[in-house]
Amino acid sequence: MGLPGMDSELIVKPEGEVKIETSGLGLFYGEFQALRDVSVTIAARQITALIGPSGCSKTSFLRCLNRMNDLISGARVVGEVLLDGRDIYHEATDVAVLRKRVGMVFQTPNPFPMSIYDNVAYGPRLHGRCSRSELDEIVEKSLRAAALWEEAKDKLRKSALDLSGGQQQRLSIARVLAVEPEVLLMDEPCSALDPTATFRIEELMIELMTRYTIVIVTHNMYQASRVSHYAGFFLLGELVEYGPTEQIFENPKDQRTDDYVRGRFG
Amino acid sequence: MNTGARRVREWLIERAIQAAGAMAIVFVLAIFAFLLRDALPVFRETTVRELAAGRTWLPTAEPPKLGLLPLLLGSLYVTIGALLISVPLGVACAAFISEVAPRWMRETLKPAVEVLATIPSVVFGFLGLLLVGPWLAELLDLDVPLFAGLGSLMLAFMAMPMIVSLSEDAIRAVPMTLRENSLALGATQWQTIWRVVLPAGRSGIIAAALLGMGRAIGETMTVLMVTGNAAVIPLGLQGFLRPVRTMTATIAAEMGETAYNTPHYHALFAIGLLLFIITFAANTIADVVVRRSSRTSR
Amino acid sequence: MKGTQSMHRPQKLGPRATQAAAFAALWAAAALVLLPVAAILGVMFVRGGRAISWEMLSSAEDGLLPAIVGTVTLVALTAVIAAPLGIAAAVYLREYAPRGPLVRLIRLAIVNLAGVPSVVYGLFGLAVFVTLLGFGRCLLAGACTLALLALPLVITASEEALRQVPERLRAASFALGATRWQTVRRIVLPNALPGIITGLILSVGRAAGETAPILFTAAFIALTKPFPSSVLDPIEALPFRLYYMATEAHGITEDAKWATAAVLVGLVLTINLVAVITRARLRGARRW
Repeated sequence: MGLPGMDSELIVKPEGEVKIETSGLGLFYGEFQALRDVSVTIAARQITALIGPSGCSKTSFLRCLNRMNDLISGARVVGEVLLDGRDIYHEATDVAVLRKRVGMVFQTPNPFPMSIYDNVAYGPRLHGRCSRSELDEIVEKSLRAAALWEEAKDKLRKSALDLSGGQQQRLSIARVLAVEPEVLLMDEPCSALDPTATFRIEELMIELMTRYTIVIVTHNMYQASRVSHYAGFFLLGELVEYGPTEQIFENPKDQRTDDYVRGRFG
Repeated sequence: MNTGARRVREWLIERAIQAAGAMAIVFVLAIFAFLLRDALPVFRETTVRELAAGRTWLPTAEPPKLGLLPLLLGSLYVTIGALLISVPLGVACAAFISEVAPRWMRETLKPAVEVLATIPSVVFGFLGLLLVGPWLAELLDLDVPLFAGLGSLMLAFMAMPMIVSLSEDAIRAVPMTLRENSLALGATQWQTIWRVVLPAGRSGIIAAALLGMGRAIGETMTVLMVTGNAAVIPLGLQGFLRPVRTMTATIAAEMGETAYNTPHYHALFAIGLLLFIITFAANTIADVVVRRSSRTSR
Repeated sequence: MKGTQSMHRPQKLGPRATQAAAFAALWAAAALVLLPVAAILGVMFVRGGRAISWEMLSSAEDGLLPAIVGTVTLVALTAVIAAPLGIAAAVYLREYAPRGPLVRLIRLAIVNLAGVPSVVYGLFGLAVFVTLLGFGRCLLAGACTLALLALPLVITASEEALRQVPERLRAASFALGATRWQTVRRIVLPNALPGIITGLILSVGRAAGETAPILFTAAFIALTKPFPSSVLDPIEALPFRLYYMATEAHGITEDAKWATAAVLVGLVLTINLVAVITRARLRGARRW
């Protein structure tokens, strides 16, 4: 159970540049342990999928990567999370800057009750960019990158709440892109969307991958196998197996992984 | 603005917000402290026993007679009278609104009660003085149209909105399943209300009564204007039909003409201190009652 | 089960009959509350309305104008003082305070402040604002005293408004790298503003009708200078004027008394009506 190195053949270290590395990561909500000794390496500019049955551990893990769990009172983290080699849980870390570098897209689209323009400009304004021309440029760039520009360019001043679900989710992505992160954490980004919208977001992810490291939590195994390069299987707070996607889905080493991907439970 | 300066500014803002948060505690302590400061010197002139049990209040006499008993009893009479009217009436209204009233009645009664809450106390005093008092005096054949019972009546209506709304919350908090179980056993709606709902909402209703009591004891202008302001000790039921003087009215009536730092001045602050302590106790107990009930009803 | 013999036992009132009687009593209780309210409003506006004349309202000599102006400036200043304090305290309670005994203590303090008798506020105002801080009996002292009285109302209403803002909006802001203050200032406060303003209006309405706190801190009758030119000037106030007119019987007509009462009640009801309408309007307009 959880001694590092013991299950090392179940946890494969990806080749190439490492963006995020966790070491012995554990998460407690009060007395309850939600994550147990998770040690994993996330490759830069690749898509990593986290799969597993319903329960909080995948999302909890994701939220450890940008310290969103800090907002939950009683939440406590042990172990290390290294972003480009530096521990983000170190005391000296500026959490606001961290969250700028590691952006997050939530499960349900969550636009602010403001105009489309203001939603996308929110992040840059926070970090000091105020000039109109600068913001115009950033907004357009972000909306284009999120494949929303064509649909939104004529109604930038209109309320973001008037957009459809799929558009709102792309808006959330644009909003995150506007702060120019290095990592994108996506927590079941398509679960609230219809198949067409889902497809567009998946295409978007593949485009974005060339510039951003993407970690996505998903229930949808087909989605995971379609878009990701690496996949990790979480079960009851433990990372059971992690490796290249084809291996996880077609030739898993652990029986539990095999049971899950074949649909025998979860 | 660079991040350094922004961080400093934000730190200052957060300190200010924290200070504002603590302000409520600071103010309560400050009120207590200042009342104490200007009340304690009264004990140069008199003892606690004389103050509390003294039967005469004549602060302008030489030497001043500072007996609080008539004032205490005056407040007590008026308050108890008010509670005797407003608690049954208020709880009945609350039960009516949440269990029995048809919608049109509900939508008339609730705003009416809210309007009652906005009427200033001086207006209640005015109405008591000019209308209700003379009318009641004639009805009950009284010499003076200013008496304790009139204060009780006006205060009952002033405390009513609070009692109605808090009781209503307490009644509404009783889970629907309790009612359904009772009805399923063949009880009538009234039996359900009387035997199940009201007992279940008991603690909220008690809290409402306590807060109503705090409100009634602390009321000033109304009693000042209608209770007659005679600092005599009320006796028996007759006491309700005679003039009295409450603690609050005493302060309001006499402070204006009292010189700074005289025994009279200190005595008035002592009354204020006593009022503060009584309402503090009532409010804290009510809070504890509500808190304890919400913990057990899970 | 025991039999269905129809012996003539003295019957207790059956449950149906009890219910009918009890419900009749409840209806009576409702009427006993409703009718006086209707009567108060009725008599106020009929008797009072008859008595109001434009001359009375606008005369500075023995009309109501100085009192009206005094009350308006008093509650305006009260709101200016109470608003930042109350809103900041609510922000602390809802957005910053860690869970624990401190918050419970603060809430207990707020409940107690709400229950302090108004005349005790007057004493405190006298001891602190008038005497210790040396303001004297003036607009400023009265407003500070009333602000204390209004504070629990403002805090409670503001906190409720802050609570209405959904948690997920805050989460989205944090995830974009905002600090807590940035989130409060840019997302939470703007969206809570309607509720906060409604609370402010309601507390203004309350302050407008209070007499005891200003009895020894601000209010006078028949001032030589009827309108205040600075915050350190004494003022007239409607509730105090009503008290004075009702209790000093000489030389004041019945009409004048009723008119004053009607103006005060009208003012307070209008303020509250504005608050209720604002709340309804803004609740309808909100979408998230």
